[in-house]
Amino acid sequence: MNVFFNIGLLHYLVLSFLLFLTGLLGVLISRNMLRVLMSVLIMTISVVINFLTFGFYCDRSLENANIISVLVLIIAVIQIFIGLVILYKINSSNEFLDSEKTKDKES
Amino acid sequence: MESNIIYFYSVFFLILGSAAGIIFSPKMYMSLLSLFVLFCSSSALYFGFGANYTAIFQLILCGIVLSGYLFLLLKKIGTMDLKLKLNSVGKIIVSSMTVAVLGVLFLLFFVEEFENSLYEVFNFVQEKSFDAINFVANIFPLHLVIIFVFVSAIVLRVFLSGLNPNNEEQN
Repeated sequence: MNVFFNIGLLHYLVLSFLLFLTGLLGVLISRNMLRVLMSVLIMTISVVINFLTFGFYCDRSLENANIISVLVLIIAVIQIFIGLVILYKINSSNEFLDSEKTKDKES
Repeated sequence: MESNIIYFYSVFFLILGSAAGIIFSPKMYMSLLSLFVLFCSSSALYFGFGANYTAIFQLILCGIVLSGYLFLLLKKIGTMDLKLKLNSVGKIIVSSMTVAVLGVLFLLFFVEEFENSLYEVFNFVQEKSFDAINFVANIFPLHLVIIFVFVSAIVLRVFLSGLNPNNEEQN
């Protein structure tokens, strides 16, 4: 039981990995493209948590972790914005959110 | 000490719950709300680390700008009430098994190797990349990134609409 109450590096890494697995599951099982993009964002947040955890426990100054985290966040948000614009341009009706129907249209 | 434990576990379950909410919520607007909660709760976690800059940055860029943009987009195309659609049962089972195998591998790795190798690996990476990180810290140009965002948005607009900006003026 002591493992659960001494909060340390391991706990944050477990949180990060569970979050990553949740995002991966969302990417794999969801048919809605918008939810897939959101799941990618979940995975990105898990990466940021990993960076900050290592920065906090191994570096203490957090400068490097902050820089890398902000960079990762910027890239993720740009990626999501571009993905949204492309999705919107592919089809602006309600169907465009369904990946299976979009695949059928392309074929 | 106790407050630290309560803080960690409340944030832990808030983050995982909102992540699950994004994927499994029955309507689209609930998913968007879960995304917003995820941003807020993860920012609270960053505040706990003392990474205030990242936390505020994420709150503004993701929590306000991205969530607001998604809200407006969903409202514009009328998909706020879109129902949850998942893949076929076979794909869900295979995906879940893949994720479960990854999880088991991760747990085995931590149980067997955590105290032996993880710190060593991290220290090795940190030593080798220390110069590179310093270099990035010195030249990291936020304003250049913002300019690149605008340039890529303009290029994308031109590319997707099949026009160049001058054509519009001529028309």
